[in-house]
Amino acid sequence: MILKVNGEAKTIAEEQPSVMKLLFLCNVESPELVSVQLNGKFVGKDHYATSQLHDNDEVDFLYFLGGGR
Amino acid sequence: MSGFATESLHGGIRKKDPHGTLRTPVYDSVAFEYEKADDMRLAFEGKKLAHSYSRISNPTVEDLEERIRVLSGGTGVLAVSSGMAAISNVVLALAGSGSRIVASHFLFGNTLSLFEHTLKPWGLSVDYVDTTDPGQVDEAITDQTRAVFVEIITNPQLQVSDIEALSRITRARGVPLIVDGTTTSLGLFSSKSFNADIEVISSTKSISGGATSVGGLIVDNGLFDWSKNPKTRPWAEKAGPKAFLVYLRREVYRNVGACLSPHNAYLQILGLETLELRLRKSSDNALSLARRIREHAKVRSVNYPGLEDHPCHEAAQKQLANGYGALLCFELAGREEGFHFLDRLKTIRRATNINDNKTLAIHPASTIFSEYSPSEREAMGVPDTLVRLSVGIENLEDLWADVVQALEGV
Repeated sequence: MILKVNGEAKTIAEEQPSVMKLLFLCNVESPELVSVQLNGKFVGKDHYATSQLHDNDEVDFLYFLGGGR
Repeated sequence: MSGFATESLHGGIRKKDPHGTLRTPVYDSVAFEYEKADDMRLAFEGKKLAHSYSRISNPTVEDLEERIRVLSGGTGVLAVSSGMAAISNVVLALAGSGSRIVASHFLFGNTLSLFEHTLKPWGLSVDYVDTTDPGQVDEAITDQTRAVFVEIITNPQLQVSDIEALSRITRARGVPLIVDGTTTSLGLFSSKSFNADIEVISSTKSISGGATSVGGLIVDNGLFDWSKNPKTRPWAEKAGPKAFLVYLRREVYRNVGACLSPHNAYLQILGLETLELRLRKSSDNALSLARRIREHAKVRSVNYPGLEDHPCHEAAQKQLANGYGALLCFELAGREEGFHFLDRLKTIRRATNINDNKTLAIHPASTIFSEYSPSEREAMGVPDTLVRLSVGIENLEDLWADVVQALEGV
């Protein structure tokens, strides 16, 4: 499936992975510090495992630099 | 989490230094380089864990922020160039033309000046109430209210409000409770434990340790739903609980430009390491001096929240776990007597500032509050008879001897 990750098209071998799985598949740096946006909306950490991704979804991994977790 | 002193020394360090230094280096660099253009794009979009420009973030400043976050238990921290910059950034982010803030009628002189002289012409209105009466706060909140602002220990009135009671009201009314914790500086009071939403601190004071550097901190305790504020609502959709700090970092703080210098951040990290010891010692000294000074014949009254008969002692005892702070005020017969007292001091220094390691003395009415009329000062709880001591960490008997000899010449 195709996702737009951090602004770039990315082919993901797995169908409908969760946000949590995508963090792993994309080898996201310091995932404990990242905030996830799915199609422009914030996804809480509690929902990483249950938020499933679909074709053409836009996912952004955002960092708040400085004393923020 | 370990104890406060342990976290002050060891908390917050994320990256191992290539040389194994135990101190965070001073990254006195304005800009940071990238391997690829796309790395730069990602950094600018906040999608890469990297610094770009020191007005927005800096590794040394980040280390201070992370240490403060650990100590506060908050969701995030922003370090700024001064305590007043912290207040300014917070108010600019939450309020605007046509909106209101409810604040204690006892405020630091420059905070009051910010509200009344600087921000009022831009359309901000502030409703001043007695925040020791939560009912007054409840009554003052309207649909236009964007925050309630109160100092943990007001300066120099030394009033202590019941923060938990205020937080119940602000939570029910959907506005954030901002507390100024400069006089308690994390070690004497945990704003998160009493449900305050935002804490601003002048880190110039206790945290810098020895008045080495000017700085300020904004702590988001992670308790407020930022979708309830019209200005932070769009950011809440994108950043959830980090909305307020992301909005600051990516817009208000970035654009205002009141950033903390890396060197000052370094000095404040040094100060942080001994914060708990200094807060306890200065509080112990202040309590002992308060008890002694009030017995002196030349002193009309003593104001210290640690005294059992202080009107706010109950709230202070409930909230201030490790001491009642360094500020101690007393009244002499008048302004002239206050000046005589200050002029005779030998060990104690005549200087503005609070929470230095050294004990400092000032006549607030003729200095910090000099821009206000005598009647305004009376209403602010700053009469001409008032002398303020910011008690340091010297030997108690030396301080007492200096106070006594100065009082005898009054």
